[in-house]
Amino acid sequence: MPEARRNALERMVETFNMTSDLPEELDVESPPVQALLATLTESQRSNFLAMASDPGVRKMSSVSNAAMAKYWDAVLSARDRGKKIAFIPFNCSPEIFHALDIVPVGVEVLNSFAIVLEEGIHEYLDLAVERGLPDTMCSAQRGVVGLLEAGVVEKPDFLVNGAAGSCDPNSKIFEYMSEKWDIPALYLDVPYSHDRRAIDYYTEGYREVVAALQELSGNKLDEDRLREACRLTNQCTEIIMEINDMKRQVPNPVPNYYNLNHLAQKLMLVGTPDALDFYETALEVCKERMEKGLHVLPEEKIRFMMMYTGIYFDQGLHHWFQEEMGVSYIMDLLVFFDFNPIIDTTNVDTMISGLAEGMLSLPMTRQLKGSWDMPANWLEDLLYYVDTYKADCIAFTGHAACKQVWGIYRIVADEVRRQLGVPSLRLEGDGWDSRVTSLDVIKEQFTEFFETLA
Amino acid sequence: MRAFQELAEVSRTLENSHVDAWKRDGKKVVGFVCSYMPEEILHALDILPYRITGKGAQDTSHADSYLTRVNCSFARSCLELGFLGQYDFLDGAVWNNGCDHIRRCYDNWKAKIPFPFMYMLPVPHKISPQGREWYKGEVLKFRSAVEDHFGVELSSKKLSDAVSTYNETRNLLRRLYDLRTGDSPPFTGAEVLTILSAGTSIPRAEYNRLLRELLEEAKPHPDGASNGKVRLLVAGSLMDDAEFIANVEDLGAIVVTDALCFGAKNFWNLTDEGGDSLENLIDRYYEHPPCPRMTGAYPQRLAFLREQIERADVKGVILQHIKFCDLHGTDNALLKRDLEKDGIPVMELERQYGPLADAGRIRTRVQAFLERIGA
Repeated sequence: MPEARRNALERMVETFNMTSDLPEELDVESPPVQALLATLTESQRSNFLAMASDPGVRKMSSVSNAAMAKYWDAVLSARDRGKKIAFIPFNCSPEIFHALDIVPVGVEVLNSFAIVLEEGIHEYLDLAVERGLPDTMCSAQRGVVGLLEAGVVEKPDFLVNGAAGSCDPNSKIFEYMSEKWDIPALYLDVPYSHDRRAIDYYTEGYREVVAALQELSGNKLDEDRLREACRLTNQCTEIIMEINDMKRQVPNPVPNYYNLNHLAQKLMLVGTPDALDFYETALEVCKERMEKGLHVLPEEKIRFMMMYTGIYFDQGLHHWFQEEMGVSYIMDLLVFFDFNPIIDTTNVDTMISGLAEGMLSLPMTRQLKGSWDMPANWLEDLLYYVDTYKADCIAFTGHAACKQVWGIYRIVADEVRRQLGVPSLRLEGDGWDSRVTSLDVIKEQFTEFFETLA
Repeated sequence: MRAFQELAEVSRTLENSHVDAWKRDGKKVVGFVCSYMPEEILHALDILPYRITGKGAQDTSHADSYLTRVNCSFARSCLELGFLGQYDFLDGAVWNNGCDHIRRCYDNWKAKIPFPFMYMLPVPHKISPQGREWYKGEVLKFRSAVEDHFGVELSSKKLSDAVSTYNETRNLLRRLYDLRTGDSPPFTGAEVLTILSAGTSIPRAEYNRLLRELLEEAKPHPDGASNGKVRLLVAGSLMDDAEFIANVEDLGAIVVTDALCFGAKNFWNLTDEGGDSLENLIDRYYEHPPCPRMTGAYPQRLAFLREQIERADVKGVILQHIKFCDLHGTDNALLKRDLEKDGIPVMELERQYGPLADAGRIRTRVQAFLERIGA
């Protein structure tokens, strides 16, 4: 049981505010900065250096952090402003909540950002288990259950889950939170296939969720606000595609750390001016890097792709790849967005259809809902991304809770190797819990793997 | 107890004598894995539905290369038997996307050891009118796929007969469970699981005949079975292992009912026999006592458990889940909370399936539980 602590969101706002104005000229080797770094935990130091060492990464991270500070502050003050809060998973479009004047909180995003708390996330992962959850449940959401149990995060007004059918632990943890804390929950059923009938079924389910949210909240969907959110999202999508075009180049000018900022923005803040601000800054940085011929240092030795999720407990991996290993971290599955459509903003109906179709194509929902070799599923997407982005190798982090991916890793990896000649590495770890496999061990395993590719 | 002996004999082997006789007649056998598969459709097409399990797997060494150590040992045991050719007598198999583990079992089976007929019948993960229509669409597609592959045609009359035949099974099993509610149940929980297990692998008419005989032969246990024994309910992950139950009962308990997809949840509700049989069948399977895979249906699952507890005068509940089964593991945590609020002692137990089961640890835990509730 953790000791009584201050509200987690308050502390997250403070941290993001502190890192939202990183100076353009910052010498991380200078004595004052080194002295400051010495006061941080190893994980905090690693994360800070990952975002602050490179000037371009520093610039885009400052904008991203400012947006995150503002976002968490808005969550924190929501009740005082008379607004309701909904917890949603990563595969649930936030735009609709903006249009309904409900504040959405991405459970996985909150879980991931809990690493900035001085106590870290481990005690919350453990507390959730101590109070009943099986220890095999996914650490991507389990930390949030621990935060609720500890009382350092307030319970939301609603839960909206969009993972039923694509991920058992994800949908189950929402049902658990609903029953445990008596929170109304809405579930969106994900069909097994990805054809027209499936898209229509899913869209209809989404319409029902939107209608139920209006009833539960007493708020009416504001068409103008929805259009504005969708317009902003479309602008972000266009920039994401432009940056992805740059990623296809050899060498890749897009800094590795962009993937982390991009993930948080795309999953939580799309539909807001702040997200657009971030993507415009990121594009500017990437263009500048490309013009200057900058890429991973000292040279792009390996183009690397995570075939599934990445490592989130320590963001130093991206930095280490880039600065020490010459490895371009092109993307992981959580930023596989090439098939997300531009939303037709003609009317509410077209916007809801566009959002639903986009959600069905969000990472994981798209690839893990059916069978591994169906159209628009994991194998087909991996073959596309590996080929299009010219990956030399792929890896599976072995995220312990993702049993279904463990269950098809081999047949998928074998097929990628057979069709494209691209080898894979299977690690054993946990994306959010460093105790399963530490970053040092992960680095050793990558080093050995990369040596075999030479 | 001739009927029981025959059922026990059937449950001991995968390819039993009834299956052999069926195949000698030139008829087909199709496997399935989940209680959301409407067996009556196969039955009406003169195809024997046969429930695939991992029973008899000695280890999971072949399956572990594909489904790994973090996958449920039931799914691994099924796949292992597939790799070993133990299910080669099947002419096809139908899966449901019951859980992440079993659908990945299907993926590997399809990739590595496919039957001539491999089919996935997806089931929605929530109970709603819209979901019911989706499920209907899937059932219709399934029916067409079976008809096309096996060159047969489903008639309304045969389907209606199949519904009646299966309802008869369910009524007979309800009578069997009624006998267990008394002071001297004629069968132990292990024996009942043996009876249920046999029913998943023989022609339904034959099973009904044996059940009728069994019920005629059934007499209250001479010892007055409850005699100091703790009346238990077992719920949770898939359980077809009579030895597990015997192990529990050996410690001074008697399992008098269950909430298992291999047990009461699989036969509790009947199919309506008036009107359109296919529509009725779809309603029956879609709305049968829900698996924890059905989101938002926790209140129904709790209500079903409470109903069984009251009917059978249960004094303690074992909520077990196979390791890595997040669906049952999570539900069990909530059920424990709610049942204990009702004053029912509950034990949560994580276990492995089949060859990986650790009987010694389980005996120790059960013994402690029985002591706790005053046995």
